[in-house]
Amino acid sequence: MTTTTIRPMNVAKGGEFQRIWSVVRLHVVNRMALFGVPLMILGFIFAVNFVIWWTLKSSLSTSDFADASEGMQYSGASTFIFVYMMVVAVQAINLTFPFAQGYSVTRRDFYLGSVLTFVMLSAAWALLISVLGEIEQATGGWYVGGSMFNAIYFGDGGFLQRLYITFLLFSFFFFVGAATAAVYVKWRTNGMLVFFGALVLVLLAAVLWITFGAHWMAVGAWFVEMGVVGVVTWTLVPTIISGIVGFFILRRATPRN
Amino acid sequence: MTTTIEVTGLTRRFGNVTALDNVSFTVEENGIYGLLGRNGAGKTTLMQLLTAQDFATDGDIRIFGQSPVENASVLQNVSFIKESQKYPDDFQVKHVLKSAPWFFKNWDADFAAELVEDFRLPVDRRIKKLSRGQLSSVGVIVGLASRAPLTFFDEPYLGLDAVARQLFYDRLIEDYAEHPRTVILSTHLIDEVSNLLEHVIVLDAGRIIIDQPAEELRGSATNLVGQRSAVEEFVKSREVLHRQSIGGIASVTVASLAADERREAQAAGIELTPISLQQLIVRKTNTTDKEFEQSA
Repeated sequence: MTTTTIRPMNVAKGGEFQRIWSVVRLHVVNRMALFGVPLMILGFIFAVNFVIWWTLKSSLSTSDFADASEGMQYSGASTFIFVYMMVVAVQAINLTFPFAQGYSVTRRDFYLGSVLTFVMLSAAWALLISVLGEIEQATGGWYVGGSMFNAIYFGDGGFLQRLYITFLLFSFFFFVGAATAAVYVKWRTNGMLVFFGALVLVLLAAVLWITFGAHWMAVGAWFVEMGVVGVVTWTLVPTIISGIVGFFILRRATPRN
Repeated sequence: MTTTIEVTGLTRRFGNVTALDNVSFTVEENGIYGLLGRNGAGKTTLMQLLTAQDFATDGDIRIFGQSPVENASVLQNVSFIKESQKYPDDFQVKHVLKSAPWFFKNWDADFAAELVEDFRLPVDRRIKKLSRGQLSSVGVIVGLASRAPLTFFDEPYLGLDAVARQLFYDRLIEDYAEHPRTVILSTHLIDEVSNLLEHVIVLDAGRIIIDQPAEELRGSATNLVGQRSAVEEFVKSREVLHRQSIGGIASVTVASLAADERREAQAAGIELTPISLQQLIVRKTNTTDKEFEQSA
């Protein structure tokens, strides 16, 4: 029998990225929950939509179908993925964070690993949706004139624009979800009450200011002027603020039982 | 001797509750330490502070000579799966086994697989579907197989049956013999682990009341049983830790006796009986056995 005392090791050189990468791997270790389930839901929604498109195409006159196609641009069929990913971000902070603490991960390494995970997941989902959008266009709406990945909110400027828009939208949902969850982890229910209370007050103040200042026209004009790309680019502001604020909140957070 | 943990004047307050009150102690490298105490004594709070999961209100913690707070070079040598550990949603046992080696350099996958067999843990089952005992064994497996230089076990036997508990003690002592490290075991089943422990730290209401080598502690008290009058006469001038009597028979615990004192007691018709670690700690914390067991 060999006896070897286990001695503490010093941090290896270049170990920082490796530690952060370990956090990324931890986030995605459960492939089923992260990719399998949303892909199955997406597949199911697509199948249901396909049957409806096919039914419309088979039963409507050409002009009526053109009207229907027009309406399909407002399809919300793929929006669930954004909400799903927001929930992924919330769970990552609320559950994976305390678990990573059990694995003796520093808060800093955990947060940086989470940021990297969110950015990569945003890129992966954005790429998937944009590629599906390309195929949808190339096949004339999956051969039945359907529209699911070319929804109006994803822009109409081709592949790169759609990639840009969906990437920023995913990032927005990830980082806002993560920051909100960080508030919960740090301050629990009271934090949630104050946070959402403050949010409601800020939105209310904005609505009152716009209404009584008669700015609604200006607001509408701003959205028109910005276009989808401009508006989505502006989401970088809350996204980046959430990313930074989330870090400082989590640095002082303690997992509770 | 190398010092693994050095704590000075450590205090943790939650609002107006003082969970730890000016605690100071040291833990030497390589040893199995028992962290004992009743529920709410501050055991988990102390372990959370030592592993930087929580922040101290006051005082200083040195682990391997450095503060553990946000210190990767300290923390990567520490393993602490607490009793109430949260796991990511839908995590299965296999996800834990797969991810643990990324965080623990000394992780022994074969040893982990062996332990999974031993504890009959279903690897494909979701963590939230596990029984209390199975959940405890996940923590035990991570604690043992991670072979961290500083390993904490937080009430690791919770929900485990007697066979599984014995398995844990056996595996711990075997692996410890081959790979000595610093182990801190928080438990209330004192007698079951008393042979394992080399050193005992007892917390009570946020303060350390005992910090002694286990051997020394065991020898620090004796139980006297005999006719009540004889026993009372004998202990008149001694400090009594505990007193119990039924009819004319009294049983009294006193501090350890010298050889001539033992002869004197025996001459007076008093029987000297050994006292278990658990009884001793219960007596020193001024609770009844029942209270102690229920509290943990």
